[in-house]
Amino acid sequence: MTSRGTPSRFLKSVLQNGVGRYVCQIKRISLVFSKDAQTSLGAREFIEDKVVDFAKQNPGIVVYVTPQRCRIPKIIAEYLNGTVKEEPINSKTSEEITQLIKKLSSQSGLEVIRIRKPIHTDSPSIQGQWHPFTNRPPSLRVHRGQLPNNQTEPQPTTSTC
Amino acid sequence: MSSFTKAAQQWATFARSWYLIDAKMQPPGKIATMCAIRLQGKHKPIYHALSDCGDHVVVMNTRHIAFSGNKWEQKVYSSHTGYPGGFKQMTAAQLHQKDPTAIIKLAVYGMLPRNLSRRTMMQRLQLFPDDVIPEEILNNLTEELPQPRNVPRRLNEYTQEEIEAFPSLWTPPEDFKMK
Repeated sequence: MTSRGTPSRFLKSVLQNGVGRYVCQIKRISLVFSKDAQTSLGAREFIEDKVVDFAKQNPGIVVYVTPQRCRIPKIIAEYLNGTVKEEPINSKTSEEITQLIKKLSSQSGLEVIRIRKPIHTDSPSIQGQWHPFTNRPPSLRVHRGQLPNNQTEPQPTTSTC
Repeated sequence: MSSFTKAAQQWATFARSWYLIDAKMQPPGKIATMCAIRLQGKHKPIYHALSDCGDHVVVMNTRHIAFSGNKWEQKVYSSHTGYPGGFKQMTAAQLHQKDPTAIIKLAVYGMLPRNLSRRTMMQRLQLFPDDVIPEEILNNLTEELPQPRNVPRRLNEYTQEEIEAFPSLWTPPEDFKMK
């Protein structure tokens, strides 16, 4: 599909994250896996070896591990702005799952769609954005008749703000 | 202005203004360049060809335009009706007689870019042969543009005092005969 047919968004951060302190945007990671199925093998290995280290290294993320009878094991990542991302870890190796979890934990909850501009600013104009009456002195207004000869034009005053 | 919402700021920046030009005793070409610049929006820092940022221009007193030189007799406006033998040529004076707004209209049309926006820009140009302008248009006007040509005063517009005060090199005697 072309970029016009697919959704797109502007570059932004959740609540200007990073301008002051940086807040990790991921709230919760839930690992749903099966105790016995073959597809959850990678998930089980990951849980045996690496999940505790991961949880210790990211104290701001809450990690849930739920063994259930499920056909496909999943990682459900929930973010601070409310988005919930479900990723199937069907027949993935432990290393692939670590990479995936790392990627999810460094994302913010904004959608992964085309970003229209790689720039964003909250103050697009310093001196004030142009409008048709900036730099238009009032002496140019429409005089339908002639001004009387004795009358002088009021001089435009420079305004100080 | 920074306290405005984004929508209000956009509305202010892209607002369309109405300009008034008095074409009395002015060369129609110079009037037409001023009109063309403002109809395209090239006088604005936010100009882009695709963003339809042109303004309205009202030209009054088009009946009293002043060609320089002998253009009233020498400048030829040609057209073809499409039928065989339908090639018509008219001098500027004849065309002006038939339609007092046509000269400026054709001049502006030729100065606008040759694309589909040209017709829209021409619709935003209002021409009036005299200084009678409808009320609705008068109420819309925001700025009067200065005339491109300084109109010189005729001899009978000078007062006798000014004529006498004008420095002269010599006064001819009573019986002097100019060749």
